[in-house]
Amino acid sequence: METFVLTLYVLVWPLIVAGTLFGICKGFFKDWREARQEGRTLI
Amino acid sequence: MILFIYPFGRRIRKVAPKAHTLAEVMYARHGRSSQLMLAGSNIVGSLISLTSNFIAGGALIALLSPFSFGQGIIVIAAGVLLYTLWSGFRASVLTDFAQVVAMLGAVVVIIPAVFFAAGGPDMFEQGAQNLTPQQSNFFSSDAFLNQGAPYIAAVLAYAIGNQTIAQRLFAVREDLIKKTFVTATVGYGATIIGIGMLGVMALYLGLTPAGGDMNNIIPQMASTYLHPILIAVFLIMIIGALSSTADSDLAALSSIMMADVYGQNIAGKKKANPKTMLLVGRVTMIVATAAALYFASGQMNILDMLVFVGALWGALVFPVIASFYWEKVTNKAFTVSVLVALAVFIPVRFEWLPMNGAVGIVTDIVAVVGIGVVLGLMSFGFFGLKPAKIIGAVGALAAAPFAIGFLHDYAVLTGSLVAYAVSTGVCYFMCFRNSKTFDFGLIQQRIGDFDNRADEEAVEAAAAAK
Repeated sequence: METFVLTLYVLVWPLIVAGTLFGICKGFFKDWREARQEGRTLI
Repeated sequence: MILFIYPFGRRIRKVAPKAHTLAEVMYARHGRSSQLMLAGSNIVGSLISLTSNFIAGGALIALLSPFSFGQGIIVIAAGVLLYTLWSGFRASVLTDFAQVVAMLGAVVVIIPAVFFAAGGPDMFEQGAQNLTPQQSNFFSSDAFLNQGAPYIAAVLAYAIGNQTIAQRLFAVREDLIKKTFVTATVGYGATIIGIGMLGVMALYLGLTPAGGDMNNIIPQMASTYLHPILIAVFLIMIIGALSSTADSDLAALSSIMMADVYGQNIAGKKKANPKTMLLVGRVTMIVATAAALYFASGQMNILDMLVFVGALWGALVFPVIASFYWEKVTNKAFTVSVLVALAVFIPVRFEWLPMNGAVGIVTDIVAVVGIGVVLGLMSFGFFGLKPAKIIGAVGALAAAPFAIGFLHDYAVLTGSLVAYAVSTGVCYFMCFRNSKTFDFGLIQQRIGDFDNRADEEAVEAAAAAK
């Protein structure tokens, strides 16, 4: 049981980070596309 | 902890929408001494942060490549300086996306890769005997008091004392402040804890840091358990992540020197020349890089440095936050409270005072007040003044029986809490009877752009329309 909990504890963080990374990438490319369509700089 | 900054961020943007630095807002709110105090602490903090990143990069390069630590820090410093010098904050933001992908990608790929290469779940069964009772306890009071709690107090102070966070607060689109801070909280928290898992695994595997230097643990884990291709990926990813922080620090240092030192204090707001400001910013970056390289050659412990500067900033948190909400705070109260807090913090942090007897008890009592202040400040942004007072008071009273008598044994935590408590107490008692009040609307009038580019663009647009 303890081994399972520790394994989960170690591997859950990369999963959360993967979710965050997906959200950031999605937002970045959406903004980039919109900026290009409107002919303005991203920043 | 970043999430707790979010409500303060919204308030700061509302009061000073055109500001560039927090110190600049303090100039508009109070005057020169408050501004320079905040600017000075920002400079110290960013320089320490820059140094820490160079050390981490140097340690990584020394362990994972044929280059030495000295060569490693020079390569990283030169790389970061070149692209930041070229385009300043714009380059910092442009490279941020790639660096965030690198940093988060490293956690997603490297942690599971090391975990399975090091034996997977079996390491927890076979390596359990390598842990001390405190290390095997998930709720270890030793770990919390030595690292967890000082880190909580330090991170709360980071957003106030660190211009790298403030500059993003002023740059981010107002409608995205909440999303930005929630993403930063989840992403940063999981990334830091995820990287910490390498330390947990090192502990179970019985890995001792090379040369007794804790900075070497992560590169050692990577070099021991990763395939050479993954080591190369890891090196690129971590260097990218380090560069991201380092370029933010360079941009932060240059904006402080441009806006707070040259713009407000040397040339004056109306006479400041944008071209001279740019030159000041660029020279600052070169000087800061050289200084950080010099300090990095000392190879100090990174975590100690960051917690030290976080605790140092604890002296600023209450006076700065109160200045945005409480119209009674004065320039004198701000300056005196920060100086007194620093004067108390330094001997406590470096254990210059004999802590046995009355001095230890008094220090513990002040630190308990500091617990109340930290909890109160964290609650205030979300729930308002009354709940914050209740949460702070209940928190301090609940902690008192467990803390008084032994908390002073943990100098890092005690120093930080004392800084919070003293600055809050001095600032409050110097202000609560003040009959003069401040009109926050004045800040918006007093802070504006240093160039008139927006006005010129508006004129051009109007001319084009005709």
